[in-house]
Amino acid sequence: MTPLGKIGVAVKHGVDVGLTRPDRSTGEVNLSSAPRKTSDFDRNAVEEAVRAREKHGGSVTAISVGGPSAREALREAVAIGADEAVLVTGEGWAQWDTRAVARLLAAAWKHLGGFDLFLVGEGSTDHFAGLVGPRFAAELGVADIAYARKLTIEAEGVLAEKDLEREVEVVRARFPVVVSVGQEINTPRLPTFMANLKASKKEVKTIGPAELGIPPDQLAPTVVVERVAVPDIPRKQVVLSGASPDELAQRLRDALRGEGVLP
Amino acid sequence: MSEADVVCYSEEIGLAADLVRIARALPAEMAPKVHAVLLPGAAADADDRLGAAGAHAVHRVAGTESADPHVVAGLLRGVVAALEPSLLLFGSTKRGREVAGRLAGLLDLPALTGVTGLRVTAEGVRAERETLSGNAVAVERFARRPALVAVLPGTTAAAALPVTAVERREHTAAPPKALSERIEVRPKAGGQLEIEKADRIVTIGRGLKKKEDLALIEALARSLGAEVGCTRPLAAEAGWLSDDHWIGLTGHRVHPKLYVAVGVSGAVQHLVGMRTSKVVVAVNKDANAPIFAQADYRIVGDLYQIVPALTKALAG
Ligand SMILES: Cc1cc2nc3c(=O)[nH]c(=O)nc-3n(C[C@H](O)[C@H](O)[C@H](O)COP(=O)(O)OP(=O)(O)OC[C@H]3O[C@@H](n4cnc5c(N)ncnc54)[C@H](O)[C@@H]3O)c2cc1C
Ligand SMILES: Nc1ncnc2c1ncn2[C@@H]1O[C@H](COP(=O)(O)O)[C@@H](O)[C@H]1O
Repeated sequence: MTPLGKIGVAVKHGVDVGLTRPDRSTGEVNLSSAPRKTSDFDRNAVEEAVRAREKHGGSVTAISVGGPSAREALREAVAIGADEAVLVTGEGWAQWDTRAVARLLAAAWKHLGGFDLFLVGEGSTDHFAGLVGPRFAAELGVADIAYARKLTIEAEGVLAEKDLEREVEVVRARFPVVVSVGQEINTPRLPTFMANLKASKKEVKTIGPAELGIPPDQLAPTVVVERVAVPDIPRKQVVLSGASPDELAQRLRDALRGEGVLP
Repeated sequence: MSEADVVCYSEEIGLAADLVRIARALPAEMAPKVHAVLLPGAAADADDRLGAAGAHAVHRVAGTESADPHVVAGLLRGVVAALEPSLLLFGSTKRGREVAGRLAGLLDLPALTGVTGLRVTAEGVRAERETLSGNAVAVERFARRPALVAVLPGTTAAAALPVTAVERREHTAAPPKALSERIEVRPKAGGQLEIEKADRIVTIGRGLKKKEDLALIEALARSLGAEVGCTRPLAAEAGWLSDDHWIGLTGHRVHPKLYVAVGVSGAVQHLVGMRTSKVVVAVNKDANAPIFAQADYRIVGDLYQIVPALTKALAG
C-alpha cells in the first residue's frame, strides 16, 4: 500500500460542558470563566489519524486554534500519538468565531505545506455546530466527508461510511480530503504514563494570524454571543412513593389521566 | 429584488416547508419576499408543497442529482448570487449542516446551526440556539448580513400563508465538478420509526439488564400507545435498539405529550433531546438521578417492579 503523506487533525479546547454551572439567580452561564477541556470527538479524530499513520505511514500534526489552555488539547493529542503540535493563537482569540477558526485553519494548512488527510470532530462539545470542517474545506476547495463512522485509506484517497439520519452513504474521495468523525468511529486509546510524560515535554509550535497573512479585521466576530442561559422549564416534581408498586402504578395512571395525555 | 429577501433550502421538503412558514412569520418588512430553492432530484410535488407553505417564489435548479456537498453548495451559490437575499434559512440536518458549512465558506457568510428560534428586527437577526451540548440556550446576533441560519427540525413553525400567485423560476447552471463520489446508499437497520413525530414515548436506558427484558418496555409502550425510545448506550454500544430509537444530542429530538424515562440517568446530552416534552415521568432506583429534576412525576424504585405494575394498571 502506498504510504500516506501528511495527516492533520484539529483539536479544540472548549468549554467543559459537564462542569459548567449557571449563575443561580440569573440562570446565565459565564463562558469566559468556565472550565475547559478537549472536545470529545476530537479525541476520536486524533485516534483515527494515529491509526491511519500506524497502518499507512506518514506523520500526524495536531492543530488547535485558541488561547494558552489549548496547549492542553495538543498535549493530549500528542499523548494519543500525534507527532507534531501546532497552536494558532493571537490577540483577541477569545472572540474568534467559527468563521475565524475556519480561516485560520485553512491558512495554517497552507502555511504547513498542505495535508493529504485531515480529521476533525463532527461537532465540538460546546458549540456542536458541525461547521468548521466543511467550512475550511470549502475555503481550500478540497473535498469533505462529514459524519464518517468508518474510514478506509486507499491508494489515492479514502472510502468512508457517512452516517446520516436514516441512511448510510458510502462515499469515495481523493486526497486531499477533510473527514469529520463522531464518537462511534473508534475508542480512543488511554495514553500510557510514559506517553503522557513524553507529551508534556513536547514542544508546541506557535503561529499567529500575522504569520499566516490574515489581518486582524478579517477575524472580527461576525456572530456575537449575547447571552447563554440554562432553559428553565418548570416541572411539577410530584413524588410518588411510600406504597406498593401496584399502588404507585395506579396513582401514576390516575395522574396521567388527569393530565389528558393517555390515549 | 429586495435587500431583505429570504432564501429557504432543505433537502427534506417537509422541513423546507417549515422554513418557509418560519420566514413568512417574520415581520413582512423584514422578509418581504420568501424564496424556496429545489435542487435536482427534488420530488415532483415539492414545488406545490412549498407554494402551499407560503413561498412567494419557488426556484428549481435543473440538472442531475448529486450528493456531493461541494456540488450542492455550488448550485445553491448560483441561486443565492442571483437573488441576493439577506437571510438564508437551511435545515439543521446532518446534510444541511455540512452544506451550510461549505456554502458559508464559499460566500464568507456568518452562520449558525442548531437554531431553535429566530427574531429579525431592524437592529438585526437574533437566533436562539442550543449550546454546551444542549445544556444551555444561547442568543446570538449576526454582526453582518447576509447570514445563514440552519434551523433544527421540529422547531415551531407558524401556520402556512399561501400567496395567490406563486412565482416559479427555473435555473440552469453548470454544477462544479464533484469532489466526492457516492458509491452506495443503504437504509439504516430499523430506520422506519419516526420517533420525533410520536405523541407518547417510553424511553429505556442502561437500567435495563439484558436485551430480552426489552419485552417489558415494549409491553408498557403498547399499553400507553407509545413508541420505544432509548439512550445512546443502548443503540450505539449495546446495539439492542436501532439508531432511530436514539434520543438526544447525537440522536433524535422529540416533542411528545408524554415522555416516560425508565432507567435513564438524565445526562445533559440526553435531556436536550426530550426537554420540550409536555409531561415527563421518570422511574429510577437512584433518588439523586438528574432525570428527576426534569420530571413532573417521579417514581423512585426498581423498574423491574414498577414497569410490569404500570402495564397492568393501564390495562385495567
Ligand atoms: C458528545 C456526546 C454526545 C452524546 N449524545 C447522547 C445522546 O444523543 N443521547 C444519549 O442518551 N446520550 C448521549 N451521550 C451519552 C450521555 O452522556 C450518557 O452517557 C447517557 O445518556 C447515559 O445513558 P443511560 O442514562 O442509559 O445510562 P446511565 O447513565 O448508566 O444510567 C442508568 C440509570 O439507570 C438507573 N437504574 C439502574 N438499574 C435500575 C433499575 N433496576 N431500576 C430503575 N433504575 C435503574 C441508574 O440509577 C441510572 O440512573 C452523549 C455523550 C457525549 C460525550
Ligand atoms: N478552535 C478550534 N481549534 C481547532 N479545531 C477546532 C476549533 N473549533 C472547532 N474545531 C474543529 O472543528 C470541529 C467541529 O467544530 P464545530 O464546528 O464548532 O462544531 C471540532 O470537533 C474540531 O475538530
